[in-house]
Amino acid sequence: MTTKTEITAATLAGALATALTLVSASAEMGGEKADKEKCYGVSLKGQNDCAAGAGTSCAGSSKVDYDGSIWKYVPKGTCTTIKTPNGVGSLKAVKS
Amino acid sequence: MTPHVFQNHWQSHWQNHWAQALLDPAGAPPPGVARQAGTAPDRRFAVYRNNVMVSLTGALAARFPAVKRIVGDEFFDSAARAFASKNPPRSPLMMTYGEEFPDFIARLDAASAVPYLADVARLEAARTRAYHADDAAPLTAADLAGVSQETLFDLRFVLHPSLELVASRFPVVTIWAMNAGDLELAEITDWSGETALIVRPALDVEVRRPPPGAAAFLASLAAGDRLGDAAAAALAQSADFDLAVNLAALFSGGLAIDAAAAKDDPQ
Amino acid sequence: MRRARAPLQPSRLPPNVGLGFKPEHFAAIAAEPQPLGFFEVHAENYMGAGGVPHAQLARLREHYALSIHGVGLSIGSLEPLDRNHLARLKRLCDRYNPESVSEHLAWSSHGGAFYNDLLPLPYTDETLAAVISHVDEAQTALGRRILLENPATYVRFEESAIPETEFLAEAARASGCGLLLDVNNVFVCARNHAYDALAYLADFPIDEISEIHLAGHFETFEADGSPLLIDAHGCVVSGAVLDLYAGVIARAGPLPTLIEWDNNVPDWRTMRAQAAIVQERLDHATGGGAKSAA
Ligand SMILES: [Fe+2]
Repeated sequence: MTTKTEITAATLAGALATALTLVSASAEMGGEKADKEKCYGVSLKGQNDCAAGAGTSCAGSSKVDYDGSIWKYVPKGTCTTIKTPNGVGSLKAVKS
Repeated sequence: MTPHVFQNHWQSHWQNHWAQALLDPAGAPPPGVARQAGTAPDRRFAVYRNNVMVSLTGALAARFPAVKRIVGDEFFDSAARAFASKNPPRSPLMMTYGEEFPDFIARLDAASAVPYLADVARLEAARTRAYHADDAAPLTAADLAGVSQETLFDLRFVLHPSLELVASRFPVVTIWAMNAGDLELAEITDWSGETALIVRPALDVEVRRPPPGAAAFLASLAAGDRLGDAAAAALAQSADFDLAVNLAALFSGGLAIDAAAAKDDPQ
Repeated sequence: MRRARAPLQPSRLPPNVGLGFKPEHFAAIAAEPQPLGFFEVHAENYMGAGGVPHAQLARLREHYALSIHGVGLSIGSLEPLDRNHLARLKRLCDRYNPESVSEHLAWSSHGGAFYNDLLPLPYTDETLAAVISHVDEAQTALGRRILLENPATYVRFEESAIPETEFLAEAARASGCGLLLDVNNVFVCARNHAYDALAYLADFPIDEISEIHLAGHFETFEADGSPLLIDAHGCVVSGAVLDLYAGVIARAGPLPTLIEWDNNVPDWRTMRAQAAIVQERLDHATGGGAKSAA
């Protein structure tokens, strides 16, 4: 690499020494981490199940549109409030 | 095995008919379903078809909650069904389902008004991978205390198995955080690109926005480059790169799990 | 008592009420000892490499008997078993050494796709041979006797020639597996296919039962008003299912009994209350002999 000469062993050693100081300083303020881990974090629901899914019924709704060519929906969640350089939200009308 | 004979038999089989009918909403129920007084075979079969679709789209909704919030329930469900009917899982591990969903979103005309959506999906997919990644004890500063100054340049780090970087030309971390409940929904004034750092040093998955140069530094280390080269790559990306702070983050942030000096570049 | 082979580790759950483990209950469960016989988990949810799922399961395992209940092996398929998946199941069993391992008389994979649902099969000589060979292969790979569960079904096949009870009895006899009797599934099927649940239970090979499942179902109706029950696992166990259960226990003696609650999962207090109700039925039906584990 052409920029290799900028990084010398001394630079690295100095940075490492500073890093070690930073780490030990933050370790002294630690302790809160261990407590948090005791609750075993934020757990996600398992996605493998042996029951019929919620919302499942025989309602005869098998003809619902999931064929992918019919797009009658336009994004309208929080995207309508996210300001982009082109303006707010999903402004482009979707042709159907 | 004996492809020809076997396959003819197989293709006409009940299981093959079922497999086809399960993902085809407009199709007839598979042949061979018994007709029974008071029941309609297509309605009974629809229970299975709905079970499958509800469970697959439910798995996508669970994995991509911020994407869902950004586009709303109707749009998400429609996109998830379109994806699932063409891309059923290839593995019984539902935790891995939806790896191709971000690319699917990127190709979706209907989502062209939200061009950042695919990157938010990439970030969310990486979070689930990190959640299930292997456990590994982070490297501590003490592990490096004995490394001599001469070998520092040649040090190669092994990063945590959960660590991933998602680079975006959009402010993907900010958008995700606003839709994951970590930040208030607000106007995003700085629309510059962000790289997300996803890592799970212990049990909680963290999403961070690395400081200038840090993404290049980590990407270089992840590629197996030597510390000296990684630092040079980071400086090349940003003159504001602070090596000491980034080395400290490797330890205190649990980003690295091992380090060894190797003189010989494997390239 | 069965054909000669390397001895398989049998199922050995305590004959008390157990609950399906849900991650959201972990803190409540860990807070105090729970008067439960065992916990059951779905195998595939613990086939990731590490993280929270394994941290929780390892902690749970230290204090409770464990049942690993697979939902993805596709034993009822005509295709060969997924060897990679079987290897994953073996690694999981080796890691946690559960008291019981079970799977379903159903299929979920075909042609490389996985449908994430327990799909039905016709009961024929051909499917029976496939099921026996798959159970045999799984048991040999795991070194354990597995339990096979009767399914909840919404359709029947014209080509089915063997009654389900007979199919299960023969599968158990020929492979040496045990059976997991899901009483709610019996009730659901009996209503959906208009037969008598008591007659089904009378035919069921009762000596092969090593575990019982109970769950809530959801009732809906056909166009002509006839009932269609969905095995939704989203509410309390119905009184009718509890009555059937009491009858089974009175005949078979105390058996490990799992309450499945997978959708609309309530808080831990409600789960415990449901477990207490079932434990009381279990104790009562067996003359108060079984005591719950502390
Ligand atoms: Fe069950």
